[in-house]
Amino acid sequence: MKVAICVKQAIDETELKVGPNGTPLIAGAATKVSTFDKNAVEEALRLKSSGGGEAVIFTVGPADARKAMKEALAMGAERGVHIIADSERLDPMLVAQLLAKAIQKSGPYDVVLCSEGSSDTYCGQVPPMLAECLGQPYAGYARKIELAGASSKVERALEDRVEVVECPLPFVASVVSEINEPRYPTLIQIMQASKKPVEELSPQALGVSTEKSLVRVETMNAQSMNRKRVLIEGTPEEGASKLIEALAKEGVIPG
Amino acid sequence: MPIYSSEHRRLMQILHPSNHEEYSELLSSLGGFMEKKILPLSPKFDTEELSIANSRKELLGQGLCQIPFPSEYGGLGLPFSVYATAIELLGYADASTALSIEIHNAVSEGIFQFGNETQKKKYLPKLTSGQMLASFSLTEPTSGSDARTIGTTAKRTGDGYVINGSKMFITNAGDAETYLVFARTERGPSCFIVDAPNHGMTFGEPLKKMGMRGSRTCEVLFSDCQVPESNLVGEEGKGLDYAKGILHGARIVVAALNVGIAQTALEKAVAYSRQRKAFGQPISEFQLTREKFADMKTGISAGRLLYLYASRVKEMGHDCSSEASQAKVFATEMSLKVCDAAIQVYGGYGYTTEDIHRHWRDARLLTIGEGTSEVLRLLIARKELAGSA
Repeated sequence: MKVAICVKQAIDETELKVGPNGTPLIAGAATKVSTFDKNAVEEALRLKSSGGGEAVIFTVGPADARKAMKEALAMGAERGVHIIADSERLDPMLVAQLLAKAIQKSGPYDVVLCSEGSSDTYCGQVPPMLAECLGQPYAGYARKIELAGASSKVERALEDRVEVVECPLPFVASVVSEINEPRYPTLIQIMQASKKPVEELSPQALGVSTEKSLVRVETMNAQSMNRKRVLIEGTPEEGASKLIEALAKEGVIPG
Repeated sequence: MPIYSSEHRRLMQILHPSNHEEYSELLSSLGGFMEKKILPLSPKFDTEELSIANSRKELLGQGLCQIPFPSEYGGLGLPFSVYATAIELLGYADASTALSIEIHNAVSEGIFQFGNETQKKKYLPKLTSGQMLASFSLTEPTSGSDARTIGTTAKRTGDGYVINGSKMFITNAGDAETYLVFARTERGPSCFIVDAPNHGMTFGEPLKKMGMRGSRTCEVLFSDCQVPESNLVGEEGKGLDYAKGILHGARIVVAALNVGIAQTALEKAVAYSRQRKAFGQPISEFQLTREKFADMKTGISAGRLLYLYASRVKEMGHDCSSEASQAKVFATEMSLKVCDAAIQVYGGYGYTTEDIHRHWRDARLLTIGEGTSEVLRLLIARKELAGSA
């Protein structure tokens, strides 16, 4: 079983500061591997553990995206492929094309896993575009993946229902966070991850021109959210009634 | 804000300009583990008095016990300041766990510093990997700061020693598999490794403590406890020198632990002050509340700098006894003040909410344990007077 996992170096939203005009201060912001990508890595390791094989991490980003790659490698993947590009200037389609070419070059893979969306911009567009570029079936928002020979059964967590689909291998899936609990690598695993092989590729080497981005981000603003901070006091019984009343008033639950 | 914050990152950059990224990566990952796996259960460890062996022994295998020891003994060979920072993060997540691990690592430090090669190879890989839990047995029912008066004896027999006596307030006792025991031989206080179980070693009931309830503490009783000669650490009669050597490092770590406790208390107080209203506005708007936060924050930053400075002095191989003592005296007393101020911010809820007064109860131990503030002040002053003579 060979599994490719696509990860992104995302802005660490827990440390992101917002400037006085409401613009997030992205330049110099701390980064990390996108939170939900760890679920994809964990799932790849689970799929691999049942039948052996290889888990390979793919990422598109500048040289320092290696840090995100390392976090994923520390979890247990065998090696990495780093496509060095200025990801800030790439739209999802270009990222998908770069990943597809690199996956084809290094593959074939039985399964390609992504997360449902990155923990910074949460576009969620790369996984389906990647499937299209690879010409493979796509199962989005997977909360459970079962492999059986040359086929798979995937439970998809949709907004109002769970859909179960059968997918022939190879396929691309994006996973939701409920699919598993990512492991925490030990300190020694983190240190050893630096020694794992990482192949570096350029867009040119993959034959992809990154000049024409179809999407251009004009501005980015923090959304202001005013919390109401309602403090409910009283006995647990009184509190429960008041809470139900308050939630109904806000339209959170039926009145 | 993550447990391993941007402030920690900056300090690591100042301390270790060449390797700070690697150290921050490790500490950030550890912080994430603690935030998810330890912090949410911390109130339960306190109320249900769950010891580390009963509820979170897997933490020992996460790498915390490997940090400052060389790789040949299963360690990671990282600077002491990285280890001390890791204990600060753990102190933030759960003080009891940090205490148990700090004691465990103090035993590893003792074997590493003063044990022979056979002992290091036999014990350190199991201790650093967390396969074994360790306990440090020095204090006795009537011998604390005056450790020279220990009454526990170790008599030579044909092929080893027989230990008799008792030890008091021993962290991890009953749970640990390895004990570093100080007992008097003909040549004076000496240090032994005692493996558990041992027919001659029994344990009292866990002591009912004010705080640090998630860390087991009890009396250890020795009755004709036989120990092979190969388990004598170093030389007979040098036990107290070894204990002092171990405790210098341990005091730096205790200081770090207290900075972690204080940081938790401050963050809780700040969050509460934003939502609690009085006289028509959040109490965070009042200047007297803000004064408290300013003092709390300043104390925490100073405590952090002191323990990191002492760590660097130790890393560079200098005598750190005074710096370690300064860090411990200051950080433990600062932590108590910060936790007390947090209770004040919470008002009546501070006095009645276990999750707030728990921090004060935890912090209260450490102006006493591992060198009282009084004894350490004497040490600091003695060094100062000697230096100016």
